[in-house]
Amino acid sequence: MSFDALTMVEKILGRTCDADVVHAGENHAVRPARMIAYDFPGYTDVMFRQMREDFGITELDDPSRYVVFIDHMLTKKNAKEQEVHQVTRDWCEFYGIELHEGRGIGHQLTAELGLATPGDFLVHFDGHISGIGAFGALGWGIRRDLIEAWVTGQLYVDIPATTRFDLVGEFGAGVDSRDLVHTIIDLVGADGCAHQVMEFGGPGARSMKIDHRQGLCGMAMFTGAVSAIFEPDELSLAYAHDVARQAFTPVLPDEGAAYAARHTIDLSTIVPQVVQPGSARAANTHTAADLAGIPITKAFIGSCASGRIEDLRAAALVLDGRTVAPGVELNVVPTSQKVHDQAESEGLLDILRSAGAHIAVSSCDFCFGYQKPLAAGENCISTGVLNISGRMGSSDANIYMGSPFTVAASALAGTIAQVGS
Amino acid sequence: MSAYPPPPDVIDGAVAWIFGDDFDIDLVVGVANIKSYDPDHLRSVCMAAYDPGFVDRVRPGDIIVGGRNFGYGHPHYPPMVALRNLGISAVVAESFSPGFWRGETFNGMPLITVPGISDAVAVGDDVRLDWRRAEVSKQDGTTITGHPPNARTVAVIEAGGSYELLLSEHRSKQPLTEGSAR
Repeated sequence: MSFDALTMVEKILGRTCDADVVHAGENHAVRPARMIAYDFPGYTDVMFRQMREDFGITELDDPSRYVVFIDHMLTKKNAKEQEVHQVTRDWCEFYGIELHEGRGIGHQLTAELGLATPGDFLVHFDGHISGIGAFGALGWGIRRDLIEAWVTGQLYVDIPATTRFDLVGEFGAGVDSRDLVHTIIDLVGADGCAHQVMEFGGPGARSMKIDHRQGLCGMAMFTGAVSAIFEPDELSLAYAHDVARQAFTPVLPDEGAAYAARHTIDLSTIVPQVVQPGSARAANTHTAADLAGIPITKAFIGSCASGRIEDLRAAALVLDGRTVAPGVELNVVPTSQKVHDQAESEGLLDILRSAGAHIAVSSCDFCFGYQKPLAAGENCISTGVLNISGRMGSSDANIYMGSPFTVAASALAGTIAQVGS
Repeated sequence: MSAYPPPPDVIDGAVAWIFGDDFDIDLVVGVANIKSYDPDHLRSVCMAAYDPGFVDRVRPGDIIVGGRNFGYGHPHYPPMVALRNLGISAVVAESFSPGFWRGETFNGMPLITVPGISDAVAVGDDVRLDWRRAEVSKQDGTTITGHPPNARTVAVIEAGGSYELLLSEHRSKQPLTEGSAR
């Protein structure tokens, strides 16, 4: 290992601050390329008001670094929603900030709209922005510190150490990145990558679809990581070239970069995983086979981690020509309008509808219990990002998490089941 | 914005409670109460599941001790509001979950990483915490030292939170008139 050899995150953050070279463990002020938020009461309305009233800021030096999405609270169509969103619209107009409303989940739109290209550093108050690591970009959820970024254009961070994951092999049938992330949590623990970035490379990483890379990186927080990132390759660079708004410079890790830990994982050994209600910790993580037979009444495919075209293809593959079990409601939420339209044109949504699935408009609303909340006593199997008590409705409902394959197979069976069982 | 003044240089108090590894802070008030900011309500539910006498025995300067990965889960802010309203002045833990650490450091709470702390103290022990040095001293004269916070984090805590620090930095750079973000 060499002090001069750098990880991807050291290279990316080094480009965003005054120091020429940064190393893990140092504290630096870094300047994100984009500083993103979704509108939500108590967050964006408060931050905009603080920026205007407490800091007296009436004009942004570079409004193009600010992006806001309206992707929550879209489905009740009531006055309260309109009120919340109008406040956001007004502020974005006041500051000249790019605003996208009702086009899907912001973490996906960030990719589709070319806001996250390889080598970029982005922040959001929400941690699932880490999904853009699929493109070799660094997305960091900084919670309330977003106000620091918004008013100063920079923020102080400890440069994270990196755990390296060398992936080999390819996923078997009925297995995807959801199963991988829970396998990793089982391997390293709920704080195995605490305060670090997970870096993925190797032939297995290159074998993974972009959607699966996004799903994996978007769940980074459940290992304690602050983010996750893939080495850019032909696939992600091609995507980025299609959507990029400006030139970008990808980074790769240096040979001999210092890693806090290094793991090799053979994707062909991964089997379907299901997480028991409460949290994604290792103790709650089991094989789908171990939990098979637990009855369910609700099934959900969607969220910023799943719900992309590969996820809908997976669901359609499992559900084609079949019908969800009596007493089970399957809700499918494409991650963005673009994904929805593609799934429609590929005939996937017709397959899902024929199987009895309800297709909902692209938004975050299912995943946080705003749309069709779960009732007490219900068991739901979900591709959402979180299964804490009360997340999707009643705090007495149980949320199991699994891949789109497993959720679809469970919807057919009426109990937790894996593909082919 | 911060409702709490910065801590003194040295915090004197008792160990109010010791939590284990991966502790989900939401459990301090219970999942049903994680969106409440009503002080009376938070007081009525704070630590009720662990120790019904907690709210009456805690004194300003008391600290919470945690295990590994303290704050794990999907932390909400009201549980720490409930604890701070009682006078809890710092959390000393084996390690902190990143999301919790960032959110509560923003709020100006000293979160001090001291490996070995959960075995070194017991509930009720009188301790002195020099938070800048990450040094916990017991009445028997023994001291256990952890990882001192970096200079920026010290500045945040001294200011009573990130928001207060940002405001004072902003004021020192330009008069509080109409201006632009840098």
